[in-house]
Order: sequence, then C-alpha cells, then structure tokens
Amino acid sequence: MNGATTVSLVGVGGQGILLAAAVLAETAAAAGLEVKASEVKGMSQRGGSVLSTVRFGEHVWSPVSPHADVVIATEPLEGLRGLSLLGPQGTLVCAVTPRITPGSVLRREEEYPDDLAGAAAARGVRLLAVDAESLARRAGTVRAVNVALLGAASAALPFTDDAWQRGLTAALPARILEVNRRAFALGRGAVASQEVET
Amino acid sequence: MERSHFFSGNEAIAHGAVRAGVRFACGYPGTPSTEIVETAAGLPGIRAEWCINEKVALETAVGASLAGVRTVVTMKHVGLNVAADPFMTLSLTGVNAGLVIVSADDPGMHSSQNEQDNRAYARFAKVPMLEPSDSQEAYDFMAEAFALSEEFDTPVLLRSTTRVSHGRGGVVPRVPVEFEPRGYARDISKYVMVPQYARVRNRLVWERLQKLRTRAEQSPLNVLEAGTADFGIIASGVAYVYAREAFPKAWFLKLGLSNPLPYKKVVRLFEEVSRVAVVEELDPFLEEQVRALGLPVIGKEAIPADGELDQEVVFRALEPFVTRKPPRRRRPTLPPAPALSAPPQPAPGLPVRPPVLCPGCSHRSVYTALRRQKLAPMGDIGCYTLGALPPLLALDSCLCMGASIGMMAGFNRALGRKAAAAVIGDSTFFHSGVTPLIDAHYNEAEGLVLVLDNRTTAMTGHQGHPGTGLRPDRSQGPAVDIQKLCDGIGVRCTTVDANDHQALDELVKAEVEAPGLGVIVALAPCVLTVRERAGAVVVDEEACNLCGLCLKLGCPALAARDEAVVVTDACTGCALCVEVCKRGALSRADDGGEGAR
Repeated sequence: MNGATTVSLVGVGGQGILLAAAVLAETAAAAGLEVKASEVKGMSQRGGSVLSTVRFGEHVWSPVSPHADVVIATEPLEGLRGLSLLGPQGTLVCAVTPRITPGSVLRREEEYPDDLAGAAAARGVRLLAVDAESLARRAGTVRAVNVALLGAASAALPFTDDAWQRGLTAALPARILEVNRRAFALGRGAVASQEVET
Repeated sequence: MERSHFFSGNEAIAHGAVRAGVRFACGYPGTPSTEIVETAAGLPGIRAEWCINEKVALETAVGASLAGVRTVVTMKHVGLNVAADPFMTLSLTGVNAGLVIVSADDPGMHSSQNEQDNRAYARFAKVPMLEPSDSQEAYDFMAEAFALSEEFDTPVLLRSTTRVSHGRGGVVPRVPVEFEPRGYARDISKYVMVPQYARVRNRLVWERLQKLRTRAEQSPLNVLEAGTADFGIIASGVAYVYAREAFPKAWFLKLGLSNPLPYKKVVRLFEEVSRVAVVEELDPFLEEQVRALGLPVIGKEAIPADGELDQEVVFRALEPFVTRKPPRRRRPTLPPAPALSAPPQPAPGLPVRPPVLCPGCSHRSVYTALRRQKLAPMGDIGCYTLGALPPLLALDSCLCMGASIGMMAGFNRALGRKAAAAVIGDSTFFHSGVTPLIDAHYNEAEGLVLVLDNRTTAMTGHQGHPGTGLRPDRSQGPAVDIQKLCDGIGVRCTTVDANDHQALDELVKAEVEAPGLGVIVALAPCVLTVRERAGAVVVDEEACNLCGLCLKLGCPALAARDEAVVVTDACTGCALCVEVCKRGALSRADDGGEGAR
C-alpha cells in the first residue's frame, strides 16, 4: 500500500526475531528510505509465536500491515502460519531447520504439518527454503539462525551489500558482529546457489 | 400508604440487600457510603466485613460471587478509583452469583477531596447502572440489580449520592427474594483473563451492552411520566426529585436504569413536548448522550456543573426556558450498534503455539504439588498465569494484579471452609498482594497463599522489585524479606525451596489441613537467570509405556515419540518429571540412575 514494502518476520519467542527486524530496519534506513516498524512483545517471550513488522519506502505512514510482500520465518511451522500474510506475488523466506515443536505436538495431540512447499505453491507464493540451522552452525553459533535467514532474504530485497553491512553494524553488538556477518554471507550464498522456484 | 420503616438510603440499601438474598457485604468506609456495611453487620443472615481498601473489598466480593453467594460491595466515589483495576476486568469475566458495587458520590464535597461523577465508570466498563432517587428505591433497586447481574452475567453499579444515602424516607418492606447459592464450576476461559480468553470475553461485553440497552428501553425502572406542560425533563437519582418538585406540570423521563441510555424512550419524550431539559448533578453525562442523538436539549448551560442541586436551583435555572420559544424540531439519529473486529481465528490446520512455562520453571513444581489438593487456585498476573493453559490447567482465575488473595478470602468466606488457594508471584505480591494478605489476616480468612518467589519480575524481562532491591540501573537497594514481612503481620509463613519437590509437597499438604490462613513462600530463582544446570533427565525406553503423566506437566523438553517419551536438550534437569513418573522410567543422568543408557 502507498508504495511501501512490508516485511514480516515470524518465529518463536527467543529466536531473535526482534534483533533481525532491527537489522532490517537499519539496512533500509542506510539505503535512504523511511522506515517504520512494530513488534508485539509480552506473552510471546515464553516460547510463543512472535511477529515483527518492518515497512520501508519513500514514505511510510503505518507501522503495521495485515499483508506482507516478504515473510521471513525462522521456523517452518511459523513460516506456514506466516503464509496467510502473503499474496500471490509474495516471497516466503523460510528456515526448514530448526523445527521447534509446540506443546500440543509434543504431547501428540496435534501433528506437525509437513508440506511447506505444497502450501506455498498452493498459495502461489515464491518459497526460499533455507537450512538455516546448519548455516548458523557453520558460521559459529546456532543463535545466528535469524541473521542467516536475513542473508537468504537479501535476495528478495532491494538493498546493496553495503547497506546490509551498515545495517548489521548498526543493530548488532560488536562482540557478535563477526559471527553474524559470516551467517549473513552464508545465507546469501545459499540462496544464490539455489535454483529459485516460483 | 403504610410506611413500615423510616430508613436512610444506606440503611435501605443494606436491608434491600438482605431482602435480595445477599449473604456477604464488604467495603471500605467512606462518606457517604459507610452505613451500608455497618447496617448489614447488624442484620441476620449476612456476613459484613470491613476490608483494608476498596480494591481488596471488590476482589473479596468477586471471590464470594464466584463461590456462588450474592454479594454487595460498597465504597465512596473515590474508592472506585482504588478498585478500578478489578472493576474494569470484572466487566469481562462477569459473575457467578450476582455482584453489586455501590458507589456513593458526594456532589458538593461535603466530606471528600474531589467531586467526581462515577456514572462515567458505568460507561467506561460497559456495565449497567441503577440510580435510586430515594430510600424506597434504594431498597427496591437492590433486588433489581442482582437480577440484572445474573441475567446479563455482569457486575452492576448502583450509584447513590449524599442526599440519597443520607436522606431519609419511608420504606415499605417487600417479600424476600428466594436465592439459593449457586454451585461453583471452574471455567478457565471465562475467569482467566489471559489475552486469548479476554479477547473473546471482550466481544461479549459489547454484545451485552446492546442487550442491556434493549432492556433499558423495556425496563419499568425507566418511566415516561405524563405531564400537562409543553416541557419535559430527563433526570435520574436525586436530581429527579428536585426537578419533580420544581416543575410539577412537566413531563418526565425518569431513569432508574440510567446506563445504557434507552435512546427510544428519550425520543418518545421529544415527541410529546417541544422543550426538553436534562437535570443532573455534576457532569453532562445524560446530556451529551442526548445531544449525540441530534436532539436539542437544555442542560449544563443552565444547570450548574459543580456542586449540589436543589429544587430552587433547578427552578431558577430552567424557568426562563419554559416560556422561551421552543427550538426547531429535528430528526433524531439513533447511534447504530458498533462494529466489532473480525473474531480471532487461528490458521486452520496449524497447531497453535501459545507461550508456555520454560523447561525447569519452578512454578511447575508448585502447580504439581497444588494439583494434588482439592483447592480452587485463584491466580494472579505473571509468567505463572501461563499455567492456566493446557495441559496444566493449574489456575481457576486471573482478574488483575494482586487479586488472587482477596478472591481466595472471599471464596472461602462464602463457603465457610478452605476451598480456594491463592497463587501469586513475588513481584505481584509487592505490587498489591501485601494489602489483601493483611486484610485476610484481619478478617480471619481461611486460606493458603503460595508466593512463587523467583526473585525477579520475570514475565516482563527480569526487572527488579522491592523483594530483590534491584533498580533499573542494576544498582542494589535495600530488599524486603517476604518471610519477615509475613512474620511482622502475624500470619503463619514458611519458606521452602521450590525445587525440593518432596518438601514442597508435604508443606502444601500440611497447610491445606491446618486451620486458618497460611503462607508458603516457594523460593527458587527464575530458571532463565540460573546458569548451572543439573544433568538432563534420561529415559528408560523399556519402562516407559507412554502413559502421558509427565507430558501433562507441559514441559517443552519432553516429547512423545513412537514407543517412549524423549527428552530434548532443552532439559534443565529439574527432575519434576522423574517424580511424577509412576514406572520409574525417568531418571537424572548424573544420579547414575537405572534409566541411563
């Protein structure tokens, strides 16, 4: 709406969604765009679903939007949930690892849904599936799943590498900057080598 | 007509409560409300208590209502400010047995620090409000209020003012209302106001308001009284009697059930007369709503907005308008029912992911100990509120900060035995749990208070509080010791390591059996703040038969697989699951248990 691009970041409380959103917001600002963002905290801290929204463009009014152009999901079930935010032109950048099993599935009251690719295809959404946990491990910490996904998502977002680097530097504490730079680069490389399907 | 009694409004409210089947009355003294509880204390069949403040009084009343007993709670206008926290959310939960809140306002500030119009609270909380204008109505309206409360599942505000409460008049007694105490049935989605349940209740509040407006249109408490003059007056409460005396020939719309406003009855009055005035003390509460219908009305431009009215003031204010050329007739516009947002709908076919208690959280061990006892656990606000969700289902209520202890006291008072416990975190205890604990001690309440002391305000991100002394800049201030605080109050209190499951279990059992009031401080630092971990739990796959007992703990570190339970690397080694397992299939790895493989 109004020419603003909306990116929704979804995942599980504790996965660093808010930090990834901060990196994205700083990157968009470094690219000279107006940025607005919104997050819902509170209850989501205790392993619940988390949603953070970043919007950028020449001019942005609202910090939220019920629709997204890109959804970045740090967990596959949350990626499936995030599909409802996307229209046919949308892109879902989704971690296929790690899986974080909700309580009802742990107790076998419900099934963990399997068919991410099918669900994305049925909705006409472009899917970038990322083995984010392995990438983060290779970078040096599993905690970098969030930034590895940002690296993957950079393929779908209109920012230069320079803007991304400035975003990473602005949003991340110095002591974890290097490991996250590696994770970002690995994520970016993983998508570049992946045959992008529509 | 024979007058059997000559009652003040407050005496009439107390007698009217007893007549309506009320068995519990509480409040905090405040002019002009005080005599209601005092009168009730002298009447047979009703228990009356002074509470430590109005918030605790309302929470105690909510507990009694929940236990199934009709309850009235009284306070002066500013007292409802103190009780506003439970009041606003009580509108969402509704009641079990009827619950009426009497707010006695003090126009003119005879004995008050401000002059506030508490009718605003009825609109704010979207609850029905009754306004008696004399002692007989004060008596009669109590039974009406309780019937409304139960029919519409809502607290009811009965608003009095100084001249109603402290005025006197004849009261004809009526036949007592038969009311059998209602049984209590746990209803987590109605009484535990965590977001996913509160969103549903909130929609019901809006729908209830529409139904109440229809009732207000039909209610005999809202009367269109014919006159002979081409002049009509809308009034409620004591303002009605002033206006009636000042303008005996006028038409009247007399509002006894004044919130929500019966729009159609207002329009009817405008069809009968060409000039209409609203006579009300303090705020233009009715006037603004009438103006919003697009109807020309005489109000606060003539009637003083501050202080008390009387018939002389009303006459002088309105007399010039009665003969003045009437305003041009306009078509009223009735406000349509408000739209509501789309009902919350989970994505179809996808498992929901509600927030949960962390692996190793010590609250889980308290809930496990408590579950072995047959007590209704009144909950409070913090991480531990998550224990109300499946599969733990460990709490029966969550109303507002600090409500658990007062609700427990009221619940047990109503049933005359230790039937409920209170569960409250350390930060919430300091926020508003100390006053109800003192109150419960003073009123000799039965009960068991479990203070889940994890040494932090965990839910919001580990902030400090007076129990830890930690300040926002991480500097250390003096800390208050909960055990010593309880010792000082004189209430029986024991501190126990919340991770010592056996000791906790035995203590809870002993406290449930002990008479009177007891506090258990279940102490264990929040697991998220603890770095050391005990060895993880291991599973003996031969012994495990997937009975699911351990899974009912709702621990995210336990998962059911094909043949047996598996323990994930989220396990902190708290070993609560080891204790609930009846087949010895779980053990701590560093105990070298037989389950280790």
